[in-house]
Amino acid sequence: MTGTIGTAGTALALVSAVALVVFGWAGARGRATAGLVRTSARLLLLGGVVAMSSLVTALLRDDFSLSYVAETHARATPFPYDVATAWAALEGSIVLWLLVLVACTWLVARAVRSEDRLGLGAAAVLGMVSLFFAGLVLTAANPFAAVTPVPVDGPGPNPLLQNNPLMAVHPPLLYLGYVGLSVPFAFGMSALALGDAGRAWLDRTRRWTIGAWVLLTAGIAVGALWSYEVLGWGGYWAWDPVENASLLPWLTATAFLHSAIAQARRDVLRAWNVALLIATYSLTILGTFLTRSGVVASVHSFSQSAVGPILLGFFVVVLASSLGLLARRGHLITSGRRIDRVVSREGMFLVNNLLLSLLTFVVVLGTTYPIVLEAVTGSQVSVGRPFFDRFAVPMSWLLLAAAAVGPLLPYRAVRREVVLRRLTPPVLAGLAAGAVLVVTGVRTPSVVVTTMLAVVVAGAVAVDLTGRTADVPGGRVRAAARVVRANLPWWGGQLAHLGLAVAAVGVATTGALTTIEETTLSTSEQADVAGVSLRFDGREVVEEEHRTSQVARFTLVGQDGSETALDPRLNLYNNSTQPVATPAVDRGITRDVYVSLRRLEENVVTIEVLHRPLQWLLWVGLTMIVTGGGVAALGRRSARRRSAPTGQPATTTRTGKPVGSS
Amino acid sequence: MRRWLVTGAALTLAAVVAVGLVLGPTTGADRVESIGQGIRCPVCQGESIADSPSTTAREMMDVVREQVAAGRSDQEILDYFTARYGRWILLDPGLTAQTVALWALPLLAAAGGIVVIRRQLAGDEPAPDGDELEQLRDRVARLRGSGETVHGQ
Repeated sequence: MTGTIGTAGTALALVSAVALVVFGWAGARGRATAGLVRTSARLLLLGGVVAMSSLVTALLRDDFSLSYVAETHARATPFPYDVATAWAALEGSIVLWLLVLVACTWLVARAVRSEDRLGLGAAAVLGMVSLFFAGLVLTAANPFAAVTPVPVDGPGPNPLLQNNPLMAVHPPLLYLGYVGLSVPFAFGMSALALGDAGRAWLDRTRRWTIGAWVLLTAGIAVGALWSYEVLGWGGYWAWDPVENASLLPWLTATAFLHSAIAQARRDVLRAWNVALLIATYSLTILGTFLTRSGVVASVHSFSQSAVGPILLGFFVVVLASSLGLLARRGHLITSGRRIDRVVSREGMFLVNNLLLSLLTFVVVLGTTYPIVLEAVTGSQVSVGRPFFDRFAVPMSWLLLAAAAVGPLLPYRAVRREVVLRRLTPPVLAGLAAGAVLVVTGVRTPSVVVTTMLAVVVAGAVAVDLTGRTADVPGGRVRAAARVVRANLPWWGGQLAHLGLAVAAVGVATTGALTTIEETTLSTSEQADVAGVSLRFDGREVVEEEHRTSQVARFTLVGQDGSETALDPRLNLYNNSTQPVATPAVDRGITRDVYVSLRRLEENVVTIEVLHRPLQWLLWVGLTMIVTGGGVAALGRRSARRRSAPTGQPATTTRTGKPVGSS
Repeated sequence: MRRWLVTGAALTLAAVVAVGLVLGPTTGADRVESIGQGIRCPVCQGESIADSPSTTAREMMDVVREQVAAGRSDQEILDYFTARYGRWILLDPGLTAQTVALWALPLLAAAGGIVVIRRQLAGDEPAPDGDELEQLRDRVARLRGSGETVHGQ
């Protein structure tokens, strides 16, 4: 029954998507179909909601008559993992994708007017995309198929997925980001079709891109934290193909967020910005293909099915049609204006875009090279961390440098004295930080260089803030608060830059200065491992309904005699023969102590202990990046609201001719 | 005078950093660990043997440890594993006939990107000449009654 309702909901979504395409396209060509578009979008949303809720209901009610529930669920699976199972396997994740997509489509279409041809065109494009995904749910990725006879119980979800609650959050956040990026793409295609990429277009795409970017960033960050907390190797990023897949659209979306400012301020890079949005969306599809087709060996490849080739086909269609449109109609949207010189604000945006595009290219190449090489020549090669690091590390340094210099440069022509005056304090501070490090004995090049650049970035933000508060009356702190409140999007961006600097230092210190030591202890034995003192207090077995855990009880003994309990464990889930080792972490200001089980018997344990200096910098930095993005997104909203009553019409000509492109 | 002071300070600090980096780290890196980072675990999914908790990876790490203790060089140890598993076992693809494109394409792309940007910059619209801009800036400053140029996002 629940399965039938789910199928009916998906069918409703499919039909409404067709209607949306037809009416949206007619509306974009000048017909008065806005009302029909709004209705279609509402029905589309209804269909998506019905599909997802029937899946969740079936899971909560242990309805094993649905193929998806029978394959991925077990009666003993506790909350919230039973709900999270709804998107933990292939078919369910496509249903979640569809739900997020129709919700975004509804947000775009719900208030669309007949004169808003750009919005109607975007709604039509979103209708086409929804049509594809609804079709996928009805065919190759159908979770609602009936199972006879109905099994009494199922195997339950993949052990790795039910081992930590972060896994309930990571995929939805990523999907919100991934799918949210469909909207800027839809506006990009609409702009090409209508030959209109002016102010109104830019405002709408920027709003959607930054929202999706914040969620995608948060999703990637949560994934990194999950990897650290669960996988037991002490790292958070492995250049795994599927991690790369999430990074790729993030890189191009980040590039767009910067070059969009250049377009807003100087009306340059219009066609390039559309190209970036096309690339971003195509990369989300490519990423989903890599994740879901099983063509790459990865900790994420849980599933192989016919969905893979279909997604690859969709990727080719999206890329070919959008690039074709860009090639034929790109000239309609260019402003013809150019950037005068590299040493200027807009020039630095160009540098930022070059670096991010190159990094995207390197990651695409490295990720797909083994697949393509094997397909063409049959020989196997691995492209792993050494390859990616060799490009990513120096390019990240250049990006940090650009993040420091860019915000201090004025637009267009630049006076040398002004630039020197602004850059001197941060550069001196950076050099001083480097000198302090090498004198105190920290001489690992990656740590020294990264820290110096991070200090320059922080110094640049400080110079920027003091420069702008100089002629604001009142106390310094209150003046700074006023300046920040007056331009939240800008300061959100600066906060993200600071976060990038902080995270980069964390990446460098944990990458280069981590010490690892393996040791074997018997019960009550205490030993010095990786610079800390650990005592093994014995093994304990904990039985739960869905798993049996062997817990190794450790005590971390501090130099002052303080004691901290650390309990790494082996969780054996009912549906698996291979236990999942879960590490234990003691977080500290100077270091994390990370204890990972290697072997556990009744009175003997073998552990690997990692001493990871300044690990928290990475988490704090990532939080700052996400927060900065959020501040910028919300700041844009409140700025729009403030300016709305006075009607700054410069932003809203329907034909899209830029008015007063400042 | 001030400019000389600043330049001097910057050069001194840069020299300190350079000397420090040349002197090198105070402690050596763990060779077993760094060799293990470059070898792919054959039974896992793209992890290195240093990172993987699997039994096979543990055993391979023991082999690395023994060979390091026996005084073999990094390259000799890597060759040992390549001889048994093929080049696939190395996470670093290195430069071989099969990976020329892997290394050459990013460099070509970088060169291409720089050329495109230079073309972009060589626009027909020259930047306003410095003096003219100066006068404009002064006029704007007088009109606004403040000395700082306006800059937003």
